Amino acid sequence: MRENTGSGIQMKNKIKVYRAMHDMTQEALAQKLKVTRQTILAIEKGKYDPSLELAFKIAGFFGVRVEEIFIYDDMKSS
Amino acid sequence: MKQNTFYLLVGLIGLIEVGLFWLSVELKNPLIITIGFIMGVGLVYIARMTITDLREDERSVMITQKAGFRTLEVFWVIFFAMSLGSAVIGFSTPLGLPHPKGMPPGFPRDEPHLGYFGLLQMILLCFIAFLYIGFRVYYARKYGEWDSDEE
Repeated sequence: MRENTGSGIQMKNKIKVYRAMHDMTQEALAQKLKVTRQTILAIEKGKYDPSLELAFKIAGFFGVRVEEIFIYDDMKSS
Repeated sequence: MKQNTFYLLVGLIGLIEVGLFWLSVELKNPLIITIGFIMGVGLVYIARMTITDLREDERSVMITQKAGFRTLEVFWVIFFAMSLGSAVIGFSTPLGLPHPKGMPPGFPRDEPHLGYFGLLQMILLCFIAFLYIGFRVYYARKYGEWDSDEE
């Protein structure tokens, strides 16, 4: 699930919303998760789908469940 | 070691490799560049392990992997085709094909020179380097390496 395949299935996420709720910059979140700021930016923009491990780390950091941040959107079925 | 120091070291090693290549041609000894190149790559790997401010994560690793895989995927076809061509030259007599033409008149024979085979190898080396850089740039763009945000 590391890339958007263009098959009509897309992972959406609410990282930006949760970041704003916690008043955090991309850089600060990236440092906490030990990734680069570009990775956070790419995830927020939907250009990169994180690994399961990173997805759980992000959810764990904000204290919510993974599915509250990441939404599996099958555009073909909707 | 800082990451910028590492890049400087890589540049220095690259220059030494060019020097070794020239020396190898001058002395007509392929072992110099062969061993020198392996040692150079080993040195780069060792130096890379000592970088203290390395910013690498799963996305950047994936970009590198994808670029490397695609490069090999394209390169092996070209390499295989050229190797087949070389094999045909080697087998041309038993197969009844005409002999390959000799060196063109005026081609330097007494001085150190690359020859056709060397030139072909150089073209392949440049090709694989450009191929990798091209794929690296493509995947870096695709996965938002140079994107900016309103933040």
